[in-house]
Formats: sequence, C-alpha cells, structure tokens
Amino acid sequence: MARFHPFHAAAVLAVLGVAVFPLYWMFVTSLTPSDQLFADRPQLLPSLAQLPTYIEAWSGTSLRHWLFNSIIVAVGTTALSIVLAILPAYALSRMDFRGKLLFGFALFLTQMLPEAMLVVPLYDIFTKLSLLNTLLGLILANAAFTVPVVTWILKGAIDAVPYEIEEAARIDGCSRIGIVLAVVVPLIAPTLAAAAVIAFFHGWNEYVFAQTFISDDQWRTASVGLASFIGELSTPVHTVMAVGFIYTVPAVVFYLFVQRYVVAGMTSGGVKG
Amino acid sequence: MSLKLNNVTKSFQDVKVIDGVDIEVGDNEFLVLLGPSGCGKSTILRMIAGLETVSGGSIHLGGRRVDELPPSERDMAFVFQSYALYPHMTVRRNIAFPLIMRQFRWWYHLPVVGGYFKRRIENSSDVREKVERTADMLALTKMLDRYPRTLSGGQRQRVALGRAMVRQPSAFLMDEPLSNLDAKLRTAMRAEITQLHRDVGGNFVYVTHDQIEAMTMGTRIALLRDGKLQQFGTPREIYERPANTYVARFIGTPPMNLIEAVVEGWAIRIGAALLPVPESAELPAGNGTRVWLGVRPGTLKLKAGAAPADSASLTGRVALIEHIGAESLVSVALDGVQTAHDDEGRHGDKVMAALPGYTDLGLGDVVTVTCDLSDFSLFAHDSGRRVGGSRAAKH
Repeated sequence: MARFHPFHAAAVLAVLGVAVFPLYWMFVTSLTPSDQLFADRPQLLPSLAQLPTYIEAWSGTSLRHWLFNSIIVAVGTTALSIVLAILPAYALSRMDFRGKLLFGFALFLTQMLPEAMLVVPLYDIFTKLSLLNTLLGLILANAAFTVPVVTWILKGAIDAVPYEIEEAARIDGCSRIGIVLAVVVPLIAPTLAAAAVIAFFHGWNEYVFAQTFISDDQWRTASVGLASFIGELSTPVHTVMAVGFIYTVPAVVFYLFVQRYVVAGMTSGGVKG
Repeated sequence: MSLKLNNVTKSFQDVKVIDGVDIEVGDNEFLVLLGPSGCGKSTILRMIAGLETVSGGSIHLGGRRVDELPPSERDMAFVFQSYALYPHMTVRRNIAFPLIMRQFRWWYHLPVVGGYFKRRIENSSDVREKVERTADMLALTKMLDRYPRTLSGGQRQRVALGRAMVRQPSAFLMDEPLSNLDAKLRTAMRAEITQLHRDVGGNFVYVTHDQIEAMTMGTRIALLRDGKLQQFGTPREIYERPANTYVARFIGTPPMNLIEAVVEGWAIRIGAALLPVPESAELPAGNGTRVWLGVRPGTLKLKAGAAPADSASLTGRVALIEHIGAESLVSVALDGVQTAHDDEGRHGDKVMAALPGYTDLGLGDVVTVTCDLSDFSLFAHDSGRRVGGSRAAKH
C-alpha cells in the first residue's frame, strides 16, 4: 500500500472534483428555487426545502416506467452482447480459419457506420419483423453496435490466457466449449466486467434508436423521456435536473456492482512462478 | 502398460520436425526424452498426449492405438513445464477437476446450478478421499483450500503432479516439470518424482534437456537431436556405449574427449604414441582406419614432465585448471594431436582430465597424459558412428 501523501490526496481530490462536480451541480440545481436559478451569485449548497421536486419528478411523471424500460434495454444489451461475443472472440483468438482477418476487420467496419445512417433501413426491417415499439427491437439494435466492440475486447483478454491452461483442461477431459465456459470465461472475468460496463452504458444512454423506434409512451426509455421535458417554449429546469440525477443513479449502482470484478491479476498463479 | 512409438513423424507445413522415431518401452518404465532445445522432444511428448497430431506412424499404449483418440480418452496425465494450474480454482478443485470432468454433464455449465453440482461431486466421499489421499502423498493437505497464486513454485508443481496422479492414469507425461524451480528444490523434486514412480507405477515419459535428470531418473533414455533418435537405451548403455560422437559428447560432465587416432593392429595410435588395447575390446576391421577415440575425462591420468618417446602416453601442456571441490578439471593442450570439440566440425588440441581432489599442477606445466583403455569408445572418423570400444557388460 502506498503511504498517505498530501500531494496524492490533493491530486485525487482535484480529479474527483472534475468528475463529480457536474453531478453535484445537477443535484444542486435541481434543489435551487427558481428565482435563484439565474442569480449572479450561484448557489453552491442545495436548499433542502426544495426536496419535494424529487417526489414530484418521481410520482408526477412516467419516470419510474422509463427507468424500468431503460434497465431492461441496458441489461438485455449487456447480456446479449456478451453471450454473442464470447465465442467469436475465442475463435478470433485461438482458431485458424479462412477469412479470419477479414472477419476481424468486418467487425471494425460496423463501428464506422453512424447510427443515424442505419435508422431508416432498420426501421424498415423492424416494421416487417414487428419489432417497432418493443424493447427487444431496441436491444437487438443496440447489440449490433456493442457486439463487435465487446468481441474485440474479449479477444484481447483471451489472447492473454496461457494456452497451457487450456491444454491441461483438454487432457482433463474438457470439451472445447467446456474449456471456454469452465476455464476461459472465469479467467477473463475482469475484462468481461469491463465489457459489460461498456455495453450497459451504451444501452442506457442510447437515444437515436430509442427515439425513432418507440412511439408508444409505454415503451419509452429514460434517455428519450428525459429529453421530452425540454419543450419548445419552456423547460422545467428543476424537474429536468431532478430526473437527470435519478437517471444517473442506476448506472452508478451498476458500475459499483461490477467494478469489484474489474481487478487485475486474475490469472496470476496459474503458470510459472 | 507398454508404450510404443512406431515410425512417428511430424511435419509443420514443409518442415519435418520429427523424423521416423521408434521407441518401445515395457510396463512401469520411466522413459526420458532427452536432447537440446529444439530437438523435438516436447513435440513427441505432445503427440503422445494428443495435443499435437501425428503426421505419420502410430502410437500405442498398452496395445491400444491411441494416436487418433482425443487427449481425454488416452488415459494419460500431463504435467506442464509452467504447471498450468487453474488460477481461479482452489488447490482442492484443481486436483479434483479431472474427476469432476469424468462425471460432467453439459448443464453443469449453467451458472449457480453447475456450481452446485460441481461442489457436490467435489464433496462426494469418493472424490474427497482420492483428493485427500493425493494431497497427503504430496504434503499439500494444509494448502487444499488455498489458491495457486498463494503457493510457492515447488508447491504449485506438486499441485500439478497431484492433478495428474489423482486420475491414476496409465501414463504420466511430464514436460520439463522441474525447469522453473531453483537448483536445490529441483534436486528434491527429482527424488520425489522418482519415488512417485516407484509408488504409483505406470509409465512415465519425462522430457528434459538436463542429462543429470535423465541419468538419475530414467530407466530408459531416448536421446534426440534435430528430430532424429540418436540412441535409445538404459542410462548405463548410453553412458558406456554411446552410439555416436553426439551422444558421447552430450552425456557426461565434462563431456567425453574425442581424440583423433588410427587403428594399428590390436593397438591405437595417437600421434607418436601407440596405445595397446585390451583383448576384450572390439576394434573396427582394417589396419590404418581413422577413428575418433572417446575417453571419459575420469580415465585420463596426468603426471608432471614430458612423456618418454615411443611410450604409450602423450605429452601436453596444462591450459586451464578448474577446482570444483571433489575433483579438479584440467584442460591439457596435446602436442601434435587433434581432438574434436563439437559436431560443427570445430577441432582443437585440448583434452579434459578429471583428477581427484586438488591438483598440484600449475598453468603451463608440461605433463604426461596416460589413457586407461579399459573404458573407451571408437567412432568412425567421417560419420561419427560407434565402431568399437571396450566391451561393456550387457544388461
């Protein structure tokens, strides 16, 4: 453990300030009386008397509903991306097959297309498949973007798993798929967690598809719901800030839940000394 | 169970790395595959294990052809140089893993449910007892619930051995298992593996580049070079009757001296000296045949002063002295005599003598070198093949 050092502490606080201040500012703004919102001297402390704003935001809007939809979409995108990415990542890392380079490159290509370009064709396809106004449709569309990224991230991690461990498992009687599930997946758990964070936040924040494919208020996600407050004539700053603050909470919770797996040195001790 | 390699070859693309190797050992043998790095010994081991395919020939274990079976069906255990433990499993689970795999069903892959069933197998009395007996033999009992990363190199190696032993396989395959350990631990583990072979039986196939390991542990040694089998025999045969100059120089520290000589009647001429050969020896036919005379450093004797003319000894000058405690290694530059130092055709004039204790000789001293021809080998001058030597007892 590094010893406590005033300089380190100051540096950590500075970084923390940059990262946390916008969140804090959002929180403070949500709890600032309207007449002081545009005051010359900004208010740095929340006035707790405004707390009912949150109650109003929570029960007076469809926020609960939107958040629930967003969680479904984000979790679904995460699960689907990881399930779909593990095997291609393993193949890219360990197997030799014709067109491997091309396959790897094609995965990159998908990242070069902007979402906005795909909206129209996807809309057409989703109409035919009755996927419009469904969360499944959103999950599929999001996964199309996260699977390639997750595949490449996992490939890198699998590359780092010592090959002997897989051979040992082969001799011990593991099938190929068994090796992937029983040996490789646990060993790349930290990277899986990191990839899960990426996929989750993609699903959580995604706006273009959610805005286009969902017209039924019942299936609206929080990112779209949040934007719907911004009106042409007036924007209820308090409510937007309160909803925005609540919107960040599940994402932070998910990250805190996952980040304990994002620890290095999972494979240490397996080979050599 | 007997292990037989029948004309086994292996090619990677167009490169032939193993060229027609034939090896056959009986039951309970400790076969050592010995050779310098890159000689193909690990490839042979991996082919026996099924981690590499065989390009030609066949492999049989206990009369059953195994080279087309997947590794798990060959009834062999493999100990890797790098141990290859499962880092995310405890020592207990590492050792139990092969046993768990025997009862494995596909749905054990499911999270939670699979974990529950795997734990149930691990805790079943049968598996528990086997794992604990193995751990007890290897002094790992106290570490069963620890993770590999908390163990020392020697302990990890023992876990790897335990994982191999617990299956009670017909053959144990080990790929330089001691090369990551420090010298002292290596000696201790060497004895442990030999003991293990005595205790559990079965065929051991052990890959090493260390001739001491080969000589001390093996009941049979297969010495390889560039994918070709140079000699296959007991350690004693290989030491006493090396099949060619390569084997002669590879086995023994310091290596055997190879001195250019000519066969003359029932004697060997080296430069001006004529050495009589004992009657029991075998010599190549033909007077005047040029040969390499192979003598171990321990059979050379040194005396201060030049050799008298027309004697059976040689004259030289001390070029280097190394004291290693029990003996002194003295390198002597011989007058008018050529010696072979390696297979790349580098020649010199030096021979190495191993003298007991501390020698009084000094650098540059003129000495008389006497060869004791009760133990020698003769190799053809061109091919390096063994053509004669003192007749070693047949085993």
